Amino acid sequence: MDPFVKFTSQSQGRDRIFRAAQYACSLAVYLLRNNSDRKDLVAKLKSLETSLSAGRKLLRLGNAANSIEAAKRTVQLSDRVLRLCLTVANVSRTLYFICDNVLWAKSVGLIRNIDKERWSLNCFRFYFFSLVMHLSRDVYAVLQVMTKRSRDKNFKQRMDQHLTENPEVAEVVVPHLDGFLFLLLETLKSHPDLALDSVKNICDLFIPLDKLGLYQSNGGVIGFCGLISSLIGIVTLTQPRLRIAP
Amino acid sequence: MDSWVRFNAQSQAKERVFRAAQYACALLGSTLQNDEAAEIRRTVSQLEAHMSLTRKLLRLGNSVEALEAAKRAIHLSDSVLRLCLTISHLNRAMYFACDNVLWAGKTGLISKLDQHKWSQRSFRYYLFALILNLTRDAYELHLLMEREARSRTSKQPSSPSIPLPPDHLPSSSSPATQAMDFGWLYRQLHLVGTVLYSNPPLLLDLVKNSCDVFIPLDRLGIYPTGPGFVGACGLASSVLSILTMVHPWLKLKP
Repeated sequence: MDPFVKFTSQSQGRDRIFRAAQYACSLAVYLLRNNSDRKDLVAKLKSLETSLSAGRKLLRLGNAANSIEAAKRTVQLSDRVLRLCLTVANVSRTLYFICDNVLWAKSVGLIRNIDKERWSLNCFRFYFFSLVMHLSRDVYAVLQVMTKRSRDKNFKQRMDQHLTENPEVAEVVVPHLDGFLFLLLETLKSHPDLALDSVKNICDLFIPLDKLGLYQSNGGVIGFCGLISSLIGIVTLTQPRLRIAP
Repeated sequence: MDSWVRFNAQSQAKERVFRAAQYACALLGSTLQNDEAAEIRRTVSQLEAHMSLTRKLLRLGNSVEALEAAKRAIHLSDSVLRLCLTISHLNRAMYFACDNVLWAGKTGLISKLDQHKWSQRSFRYYLFALILNLTRDAYELHLLMEREARSRTSKQPSSPSIPLPPDHLPSSSSPATQAMDFGWLYRQLHLVGTVLYSNPPLLLDLVKNSCDVFIPLDRLGIYPTGPGFVGACGLASSVLSILTMVHPWLKLKP
């Protein structure tokens, strides 16, 4: 019971649980949409999803300051690419939170004369940009580890062993692809924090892609991706060694 | 900025800020009684309802925390404190459980919920928890007053400043006894003032619980005071509790 209490006393922990619940509801609503016996349940899940979403918007009210603090920290990183990616990602996330706060104020009725559609689009644009920056950082980190590994003698031996034991390897291009994939998978297996962060960012990416109209998917895909990324978020919060640093 | 980030990271802290905002809205809504401010009043009451629902959402796991606190309170050495705190935490756990049921009803998860009945139930548990907290405060105050009185008499053994309990005084209303009554009362009040001034956590907790107790008293209809007064009390107690979070040394322990 004690780790549960410690987890939920963190604001982030509760927010991730609510996010997971919200996307689980969204997924369930999509899966049950054609089921005429479960109309009551679908209505209940929809209203739960709406109230969770509204509650989370209110809870996000102070987060712009958190992002600015994170940006201040990442500006001091030594690696130039990491510094650029993470600082831009944090600044973009700050702008996303500011737009989100303005949208909350409009939904509650505190601000009236704003164009909700335009602000909503900007909100998703900033969120999309911050996710793209986080993904670039993941790709950079993966490439770094891969280049370091490919120079490692032990690893070279293992790769040659893998390539020679596989009888399907015949053409010139395919062994390179096979070798590349082997290297990639080994890298991701040995750095679970990197793998989890990449999967989380890729799943999260589907949400703004759909809302901005760049890659239309349906409610089920969005619900599923949101649920996976929230679960990964909860796991990284409970197991600090699985959290990517910085 | 750094202290804001740390403050923000605590879920409890956010809930207190929203509570302060909710009661500020209630207070504001009650002061805007004229017709011109109907639009503002509607916005304010909408905001208050939205914050109340979100706070209920935030409180979803608090029963567990209250039960853990009750488990810890059972191991206290002082028997009065142990009784008061354990039962207070158990009542709070029941209050949170009723509150969670109310949230489920308001979001539509449980249909056909008698909201009024559950609301009254939750306020009854809350009132009982507050009464126990106030009893604990009175007990701590009594202990500290005794200690202070003993230290005073040990410092000045010649002066007759030992406060006599009221039943030792004669009941006749002669001027000498009346003067003694007022003198005794003045000394007691002075003692209370000294003790509270030198123990800010106890003072804060006492004021906070006293402000809080008016909320369920009004909602249950036992002592109706009106939405303005309830809003002011709620705002005051929320501000005090935010103060104890920002300065942890101000929190009354255990």
